[in-house]
Amino acid sequence: MSYDDVEIEDMEWNEELQAYTYPCPCGDLFQITKEDLRLGEEIARCPSCSLYITVIYNMEDFSDSGRKNTTIEPSKQQPVAVA
Amino acid sequence: MEGNKEEEQQQEIWSWGAGTDGQLGTGKLQDEHTPQLLHSLSSFGPISFLSCGGAHVIALTPGGRVLSWGRGASGQLGHGEMVNGLQPKVVQALEGFAITHVSAGWNHSGFVSETGCLFTCGDGSFGQLGHGDCDSRCSPEKVAYFDSYKVEQIACGMRHSLVLVKGGQVYGFGSGKRGQLGISVDRVRSLSLPQATIGLDNIKIMSVYANGDHSAALCAAGEVHVWGRGFSGSNDVYIPQLVTPHYFRQAALGWNHILLLAADGEVFMLGGYGHGILNGAQMAAQMEQMCEKPDEGGLQKFHGLTGKKILQIAAGAEHSALIIDDGSVMTWGWGEHGQLGLGDTTNQTGPHAVCFNRTFNPQHLVPRVFCGSGFTYVVGMPADSKT
Repeated sequence: MSYDDVEIEDMEWNEELQAYTYPCPCGDLFQITKEDLRLGEEIARCPSCSLYITVIYNMEDFSDSGRKNTTIEPSKQQPVAVA
Repeated sequence: MEGNKEEEQQQEIWSWGAGTDGQLGTGKLQDEHTPQLLHSLSSFGPISFLSCGGAHVIALTPGGRVLSWGRGASGQLGHGEMVNGLQPKVVQALEGFAITHVSAGWNHSGFVSETGCLFTCGDGSFGQLGHGDCDSRCSPEKVAYFDSYKVEQIACGMRHSLVLVKGGQVYGFGSGKRGQLGISVDRVRSLSLPQATIGLDNIKIMSVYANGDHSAALCAAGEVHVWGRGFSGSNDVYIPQLVTPHYFRQAALGWNHILLLAADGEVFMLGGYGHGILNGAQMAAQMEQMCEKPDEGGLQKFHGLTGKKILQIAAGAEHSALIIDDGSVMTWGWGEHGQLGLGDTTNQTGPHAVCFNRTFNPQHLVPRVFCGSGFTYVVGMPADSKT
């Protein structure tokens, strides 16, 4: 289950991590790279725990100009096995 | 230090949970699943209050000195640099002031002096430091806006701050995207100068609370008002809303729930859907058994605590803790980082007693609990022998 739905405009760009980040309740940060977003990934994960969030964004904002990534299947919310 | 007063009970400080930024004060960068007795603070004398944030801790001594440790990458420790601190260290910039109140937010910090001055440091990206800009600061800086006010309290949330001034007025600054500033019916992306909260006029406010995107105020009469992100998926609240119909002594905010200690000693929870079932759905049914069906305001009464007198409540981002009058400490909620202190990483939908290698005898040591996002502290406060 996704911990939260977060709009990309509420995420912060982290230069050091080269990723968009959002606070995770464990204390670490949910992270997603520009490349992930370009590929249509919508799950931002926390490196320290099992939680993840769903990022709400417009894929066209991140796709290369001239190339529309319309063939990429939108990643549906996938159940993640938790130990 | 020991034995300077005959048989005097020494204060004890314990920590557990997420520890990868040094927030546990153990000198190690690792999670702990059971209470760790700390020695790193003993040289500073007793601690009267702790505030735990995203991954840093601020401690206050009875003499008004401030110590901090844990994550410092945004300057939230106030030591003049943007690095983590593994060991408690005195905030030198505040040495000339007697500090009476402190608050640790996600990545920022607030300090209130005896004379009513407010100082802030840390991440200022959303204006949450109140200095009129969105810069971060690594040393506490006085908030000029309050020069002609007497500040009593500050509460730091994820990206916002609330200030209570003498006379009862509440001010908000920082992110107001979810209504957590309570200053307008519109979404406020960021506000870098304090603005008065609306809807709390003519109410005597005792305490303000902030965590995640939530805000709350406890009134002298025992009423609690909440604003900010809606609980359990309900709409965001832009103007402080009364939690009815109960009267409360204490409130504790998480990222998705608020715990309320009623005047009669019962514990209620607002929101918290999924509290303790965050990363595992199998316990959802159990959860329903623990709580009474919420009333129309979404307030749930906790079972399993009947007959127990609750002294204090605390909330982390996704876990909860309380102190019972027999000296026991109970925790529940999300446990992945060991923040429940129960010896494992299991989630719990209801309160479980934490095992220390000692029993707190409330006659001698009264435990107080403080929660950060993913970690927990218990301070055994020597009981006044006269009471």
